[in-house]
Amino acid sequence: MAKFPTDPWFQEFIAAINRSERYREVAATWEGDVAFRIEAEPDKGVPTTVWGFLDLWHGECRGGGVVDEERGAASTYVISAPYSRWREVLEGDLDPIRGMMQGKLRVQGDLPTIIRYVSAANELVHLTGTVDTQFPDGD
Amino acid sequence: MRAVVFESVCEVRVTDVPDAAIEEPGDAVVRVTRTAICGSDLHFFHGKAPIDPGDVLGHEAVGIVKAVGTGVERFSPGDRVVVAFNIACGACWFCRRGEMQLCDDFRNLGAGAFGGSLAGAQATHVRVPTADVNLLRIPDEVDDERALFVGDILTTGLYAASIAEIEPGSVVAVVGCGPVGFFCIQAARAIGAGQVFAIDLEPGRLELAASVGAVPVNARERHPVSALAEATDGRGADVVLEAVGSPSAYESALGMVRRGGRVVVVGVYAGESVEMQLGVYWARALTIRFSGICPVHAWWERAMDEVIAGRVDPSPLISHRLPLEEAAHGYALFDRREATKVVLMP
Repeated sequence: MAKFPTDPWFQEFIAAINRSERYREVAATWEGDVAFRIEAEPDKGVPTTVWGFLDLWHGECRGGGVVDEERGAASTYVISAPYSRWREVLEGDLDPIRGMMQGKLRVQGDLPTIIRYVSAANELVHLTGTVDTQFPDGD
Repeated sequence: MRAVVFESVCEVRVTDVPDAAIEEPGDAVVRVTRTAICGSDLHFFHGKAPIDPGDVLGHEAVGIVKAVGTGVERFSPGDRVVVAFNIACGACWFCRRGEMQLCDDFRNLGAGAFGGSLAGAQATHVRVPTADVNLLRIPDEVDDERALFVGDILTTGLYAASIAEIEPGSVVAVVGCGPVGFFCIQAARAIGAGQVFAIDLEPGRLELAASVGAVPVNARERHPVSALAEATDGRGADVVLEAVGSPSAYESALGMVRRGGRVVVVGVYAGESVEMQLGVYWARALTIRFSGICPVHAWWERAMDEVIAGRVDPSPLISHRLPLEEAAHGYALFDRREATKVVLMP
């Protein structure tokens, strides 16, 4: 079991992405690294903001993990939200594309491009559900 | 007369300056009984806004009319008055619409060349042009200190909350609990907001906000977006009043507001910029209004009514009362945020 949002969790997530035939198919033309900015919520066990980074390229993840702000902020796409919003995404309670359009997940980068890859985004969310996840604020 | 003048960056002093005098028929000279140090005075104090050494600072004042020009009809010597922080002509197209902040001849007291080179109000006396427009009589039941902020920050808070069209029971978030935010909170409650969340980083300011009925959220301890989401079944605040004036506060405000909600930006901006996803704003049907400078003349009678009714109480905001001669100490306290509001007594 890996605790979200830590580097071991992202490594398990990356492994899940690279095992996914579905992701390889729907993201075959995707180009662009993505940073997930998980904003601190000290009262929920996330004392500092965490940057998770995925080097996504043509249906696979070439690497990534927890990175520093400088590296994360330089990504082609940065998606930001408080930790609890990310937890909603991981638990399937917040559709990521809808969340972006509603401003619940803030996007830096070309939003229309991300939205065109709705199937890839949904598969990424589905894959987070395959990671045995422990949340810092419990069940 | 004695006055607080800009000396150099982060240095003011109290000195003798030429007496305030009637220069135009519409002028009044007011003997200042209370004046205050405002956050915008710090822009000059820090050298971020142009002002010359020797210029008199300040724009928040109450006092007694000492003399009036031949063209003044509404005021006489002896009247107790509050001074508008922005000096309007009262006659141009914008002033006639009640939008004095957009006046063709807009000026500010104590703002150097930027404000039309008018001497400021942190002095024993101040000259007020177009006195019939730029003074408000203080009702007998209101003491000087409760009237003082009607000329600026109190009315600014009421204005921001009013143009946000707060509906009864609305959930409101106020980002930034400085003096303007403090009055935004009280005004929102006076208008009928259900819950008012006060967002800040400083415990002292949050305590002050809580003392006037807000739910304090220390953004170092609790994410404000989550706090508002949790209070509204995930929707977000109906109205957010952004009273900081920084891109991060602005973006935070946009994160807190619900779809179809309203954001009023009352914090002061100059050259900052933010990246906007216009499609997201559009899809969320947000109303975002930049308040600009408060048209204080159009709102100060309503503000005074709120003070008289006790729905807006400025008293808790005042942390320090100092003789005018100790103004330099007052600036230092305010600059270090060791004072929430400093009132100077000439």
